[in-house]
Amino acid sequence: MLERISPEGAPKPLGPYSPVVRAGDFIYLAGQGPLDAATNRLLEADIEAETRLTLTNIRTILKGLGLGLRDVVRVGVFLRDGADFAKMNEVYAEFFGNDKPARTTIVCSFSQPIRVEIDCVAYQPAR
Amino acid sequence: MIERLTPPGVPAPRGPYSPAVRAGDFIFVAGQLAVDPETNQYVAGDIQHETRVTLNNIKRILEGAGACVADVVRVGVFLADGSEFARMNEVYAEFFGNDKPARTTIVCKFAADIRVEIDCVAYSPKK
Repeated sequence: MLERISPEGAPKPLGPYSPVVRAGDFIYLAGQGPLDAATNRLLEADIEAETRLTLTNIRTILKGLGLGLRDVVRVGVFLRDGADFAKMNEVYAEFFGNDKPARTTIVCSFSQPIRVEIDCVAYQPAR
Repeated sequence: MIERLTPPGVPAPRGPYSPAVRAGDFIFVAGQLAVDPETNQYVAGDIQHETRVTLNNIKRILEGAGACVADVVRVGVFLADGSEFARMNEVYAEFFGNDKPARTTIVCKFAADIRVEIDCVAYSPKK
């Protein structure tokens, strides 16, 4: 079964997409950025702060589904500046600890003034 | 169950990620680069050489995870230079033969000085 979900507390989508789609045992999260869920405004800050807020948003969305970062199996990281890679990794490692997902990181441009966007796939087998 | 896999003989991760993660019947392979698994150094070369080394790393990871190239369902190809698309495709086609996965190719930048990054998802139901 396919389910399109807008979890409470998640930032409002900035375009025509669902924040979350569940397909069978897999949960697809749309790309998240450093968006303050309370004000719905983008944080324009250093890479550490933007990564922290982005991953906090992902954790909040997962929590709303009864999941945690340990359930994430695949991550895409999109950076504006490749020089931010090491600092992004420091914050990223704090969040994921030993439960490291497979990951692909690329450097690209965005339609918004942000330094980082992150999406992921989580696994929630039917109980 | 989620299994985070670091099969023997594959390049050491260059950040806080697992080379592969199995979740149910699917295997998610992290973005791979033209890295010599023996030395863990980049093997800079032309696009065909980098594509070949990168795809061989993917093959090693898949095999270490109990899957094979024919099990790949989805591939992401990231190129530094769009003019290298056709030459990348030649090596890519040799590698996948008739078992062509769904694929998306984009041109982007990287945090390192490389020409190509490739990731994939494989389907390998557990017996």
